[in-house]
Amino acid sequence: MSSDVPPVPVLSRSDGQGSSPVDPASYREARRLHPLTLVQRLVVSLPALFFLLLPFLRHPDRDAWINLVIAIIYGVIALPWIVLYYHRFRYRITPRELIIESGVLTRKHRNIPIERIQSIEIEQRLLARLLGLAKVKVQTAGSAATEGVLEYVSVPEAHAIRRIVRVYQQHRTDAPEAAAGPPATTPETGEATPETTGLSLSLRRVLLSGAFRFSLLYIAVAFSLLQYFDPDPEAIALWLSRGALRPLITRAADAPWLTAFLFALLAALLSWLTGIAVNLGKYYGFRLWYEPGKLHKRHGLLTVSENTIPFRKVQALILRTNPLMQRFGWWELKLQTMGFDPREQGYQVAAPFARLDEIEAVARPMLPFHLPETFRSVSPLHARRVFVRWTLALLLLSAGTALFWTPAWWSLTALPLVGLYAWLAFRRHGYVFTGERLFVRRGVLRHHVWVLPVEKFQVFYLTASLFQRRLGLCSVYVDTAGVAGFAAPVIHDLPAGEAEALLETLYARFQAHYAGAEPPGAEAGVEAIRSRSEQSPR
Amino acid sequence: MHPLDRAVLNVWRLKLGMVAGVATLGTLAYEVLNLFDGDLPLPFGLTTALVLAAGLALCLIVPPLRYRFWRYALRPEELYLERGLFNRVRTIVPLRRIQHLDVSQDVIEREFGLGRLVVHTAGARSSEIVLPGLRYEEAEKLRDAMKRYILEEDVV
Repeated sequence: MSSDVPPVPVLSRSDGQGSSPVDPASYREARRLHPLTLVQRLVVSLPALFFLLLPFLRHPDRDAWINLVIAIIYGVIALPWIVLYYHRFRYRITPRELIIESGVLTRKHRNIPIERIQSIEIEQRLLARLLGLAKVKVQTAGSAATEGVLEYVSVPEAHAIRRIVRVYQQHRTDAPEAAAGPPATTPETGEATPETTGLSLSLRRVLLSGAFRFSLLYIAVAFSLLQYFDPDPEAIALWLSRGALRPLITRAADAPWLTAFLFALLAALLSWLTGIAVNLGKYYGFRLWYEPGKLHKRHGLLTVSENTIPFRKVQALILRTNPLMQRFGWWELKLQTMGFDPREQGYQVAAPFARLDEIEAVARPMLPFHLPETFRSVSPLHARRVFVRWTLALLLLSAGTALFWTPAWWSLTALPLVGLYAWLAFRRHGYVFTGERLFVRRGVLRHHVWVLPVEKFQVFYLTASLFQRRLGLCSVYVDTAGVAGFAAPVIHDLPAGEAEALLETLYARFQAHYAGAEPPGAEAGVEAIRSRSEQSPR
Repeated sequence: MHPLDRAVLNVWRLKLGMVAGVATLGTLAYEVLNLFDGDLPLPFGLTTALVLAAGLALCLIVPPLRYRFWRYALRPEELYLERGLFNRVRTIVPLRRIQHLDVSQDVIEREFGLGRLVVHTAGARSSEIVLPGLRYEEAEKLRDAMKRYILEEDVV
């Protein structure tokens, strides 16, 4: 890899940090952490030791000796660990990558390509500051975790690392986009077209949207109120059995079914009202507008939240609805985003309550799509698998409960409902691949439609469980960047042949999207390695 | 398509064996502690023997099966993995999607000269894709080949 390394950039003091010039070449050799790291780590481990010793220090008697032994064992393990960790830790920066070698028992050799580095954070806690040390955290777009941590290096070294990486990054990438978002910039990330002026929701719409949502928040509120007032249950029972409520209680005892029904009704009403209130608090005055390459939104009654989302951070769209909302043609639009900052990763509501054409208009500047009329359905065996799964769950549950309470067997009368659910699960599950977008829809009570653009595909999966294999079925899943949500756009239970063909099509389309950007020579390199590994003994 | 290195069988056997050993010791401790209470469901030692036998059987049966279904290939544009005894999974990792790469080795793997390649992507559910059971040098070779590709990819 020596031939195509760019020349060592000359770093001068002119780029802001104001410290002495740095020689990047010296960072190409393996470097150690600052020796004071040992002191820092030792001091940090002391409180644990102190707590272990605390009983012994207070009453140095027979029972406390065990703590002394534990403390000694801790010392015998922890101290060499600190030294070994320091001893094994190496890092270096080449013009192409940051390399970190670490690990006491499990040795790890990590290569982070320079252009994949999103941010370098320098952190100094109190003790580290006293020792003149700094912790360097290197983030890539991979996960919410920090991918590279150097703890600790000296403060000038921390700044030098940051500068060297920046200079190398500028060297490598003339296009600013390359250093930015992890996946490619889409051709659609243009300006907002005039007809898409955004979206604002009237108060009436916000209230209406709440009416379709139920919230169980009131239960939490009731519980926290109970905790706050901490009432005496006996006093309440006494008050209830003595007071004016007595006739009501006897009536309730006379008609248990009616009481249960009324209670359920009350609970539903409460959760409905809470849903409206919560929704109002969250989405009051919802407004969404565009700037070139960006989306802004602002909403909230008491806490007003404002958000800016660059289009290129949007990885996928998620449309959500429930049977009732869908009946009246209402949808929610969520964006799956991925950013420099772990805090920006996740899901953003772009339209809490809108018609499908409004949602398509909102999405047009960043990820245009048109929801297909019909979806390809999965194998009908999907219904059977869902039915079997839920029936087994129901059987287990009722059998378990029946050990204590025999009437639990009556819950098996719900089996026709399970059948209906399974049939609906099959009917609602489907996919469409248009060549540009993969649409996956799923869900009975919570209906999801995922819109996955080809240029944001990350990793492709084809899975078949033991039971699926018996029925000749497979599931297909295409991963996109972001945070793992509760539900994923897995296409369940396709006939094996169809699944394989779909996976091939998806991957071929993905490759075609990037075709033309192939660097010459890379293939040859891989081939060479492959032939070498082919020769190696197994 | 390459199989894993056969030495990984021993690594898996050892790791499973350690779990089995802990389970056996736990059962034994339970039996000894309850020996004189007279409420052991089975004659003394039998439960421990059963747990031990089950553990040994697992150690013998599971690793070869797991080994049989592991396959990998580094192709010009993707890393392809196939694995899974019960849940069979095929994975295509496009090399251009790789964020960074680890080669790591734990104590047991070190004894057998093995290492594992860990591929990190930005995918929500694929932030770590692990290819175990490679000779350490082979893992490094694979990493270098993949690294070469992702680094030459300018448009990320």
